Amino acid sequence: MEEKKMPKVQVRGLTKRFGDLLVLNNISFDVEAGEFLCIVGPTGCGKTTFLNSLTKLYKPTEGEILLDGEPVDLKKHNIAYIFQEYSTMPWLTVEENVGFGLDIKGVEKGKAKALVDEYLEIVGLAKYRKYYPNQLSASMLQRVVIARAFATQPDLLLMDEPYGQLDIQLRYHLEDELISLWQRTGTTVLFITHNIEEAVYMGQRILVLTNKPTSIKQTIDNNLPRPRDIASPDFVKLRNEVTDLIKWW
Amino acid sequence: MIDNTKDSRFSVKQLIVIYTIISLMSLLAVWELVARFTKASMFLPPASQVLVAFCRSFVEPIGKRTMLAHIGVSLYRVGVAFFFATIAGIALGVGMGYSRLAEAILKPIFEFIRPIPPLAWIPLSILWFGLGDTGKFFIIFLGCFCFITVNTYDGAKNVDPELIGAARMLGANERQVFFEIVLPSSVPYIFAGLQIAVTAGWSAVVGAEMIQSNEGVGWMIVRGMNTGNTVQIMVGIVAIGIVGFILANLTSALERRLCAWNEQKGM
Repeated sequence: MEEKKMPKVQVRGLTKRFGDLLVLNNISFDVEAGEFLCIVGPTGCGKTTFLNSLTKLYKPTEGEILLDGEPVDLKKHNIAYIFQEYSTMPWLTVEENVGFGLDIKGVEKGKAKALVDEYLEIVGLAKYRKYYPNQLSASMLQRVVIARAFATQPDLLLMDEPYGQLDIQLRYHLEDELISLWQRTGTTVLFITHNIEEAVYMGQRILVLTNKPTSIKQTIDNNLPRPRDIASPDFVKLRNEVTDLIKWW
Repeated sequence: MIDNTKDSRFSVKQLIVIYTIISLMSLLAVWELVARFTKASMFLPPASQVLVAFCRSFVEPIGKRTMLAHIGVSLYRVGVAFFFATIAGIALGVGMGYSRLAEAILKPIFEFIRPIPPLAWIPLSILWFGLGDTGKFFIIFLGCFCFITVNTYDGAKNVDPELIGAARMLGANERQVFFEIVLPSSVPYIFAGLQIAVTAGWSAVVGAEMIQSNEGVGWMIVRGMNTGNTVQIMVGIVAIGIVGFILANLTSALERRLCAWNEQKGM
């Protein structure tokens, strides 16, 4: 963020109605290139609708989403998604899975192989490149999915509660891995979660959403030094701050 | 009292082989005894006689050819029909499983044809294709085709929508979704179909060779029937059984190699 350039993502007055039901109410924000932005909100606050509008699955009722100053076009822009489900292809080996996105996008073979090698190394799966998904553990599968997303060198990486179903130790571990991967690659990351601690631990900035109809309640800058300590007073203070914002009771 | 722990000089695999041999020997023994000492001997030649005739058939021709040549002819007929059935079955199955339109158009026709036994087509096939090999291909084709189609269709229907979603989000177009996701994830189902189909096709060969023919294992049986030669009928039956067994095992071995990724997961 040293240089003041055009934001990577610009969301302008995003509104979504399903019939009479207003789900997203005039949401506007920017994401800087290379930023790690966390979005938290109460359960059922329309996070999924928000994401689906971003990915063009839903057409927004009003407003627009710009990527590099142009309306999002999945044919032109390279957006990667990571969800809870380990959507690896069971008939492909680890390396083929990591290369799947590159293959789909028609990246030249030699270049694709170099990228696959690089990211297999980064996520620590180089030894397992010839394995099939049914021979791997949950955390390894999640790493395959992460490597597959990063290997496509996305303009924007969207993550929707990727660690929602994992146990705590594993989550901590993968979160750290993701942070270091992000620091290394400078990818722009939009991380959606309902887990406040996770949001405070990961993000450079936290966007807190309100209940339906969803709008932005507050944006919080998070300058805690990394690696962050979830038990430090500053961390706890920030976490409580976010928790208070989310409370609807 | 048998102490199981002392039996450890045999591995489980060896035990399975031993039991299989015992089972087969018992079958032959019962067959032999029934044929020799009961009135069934009029219609059932004893096992020993059939086995001797079976072995001799490899050197002494039955009709114009020896056993291996007969098996070869029948395998050729099954092979050709099976090849076309595989192509047609996979194409139709995947098509119906993937495209609602194709399903709506083709499925009723397919479901109508499916329960008709291949043998019911024999008279028509003679009219349409004459007495040559084409009619035999047709009958065997009908014997395999449906199994391949049904299984492939099942596979294409059961593709995990998560995977299709993941591919689309990585930028896959319709064609890529089809070839990179739908087809490969149907492969275990296709193989299950091929395995049933190869056995079914091999069974249909007898029916197919009932049509004017002078060679093949099916012919051997029909010929035995016409001349009242029960030994020859039994020799043909034994040959069909053994070859069918080998074919089934070959396909499942091939499946294990090509679908290694699906192991332990079941279907």
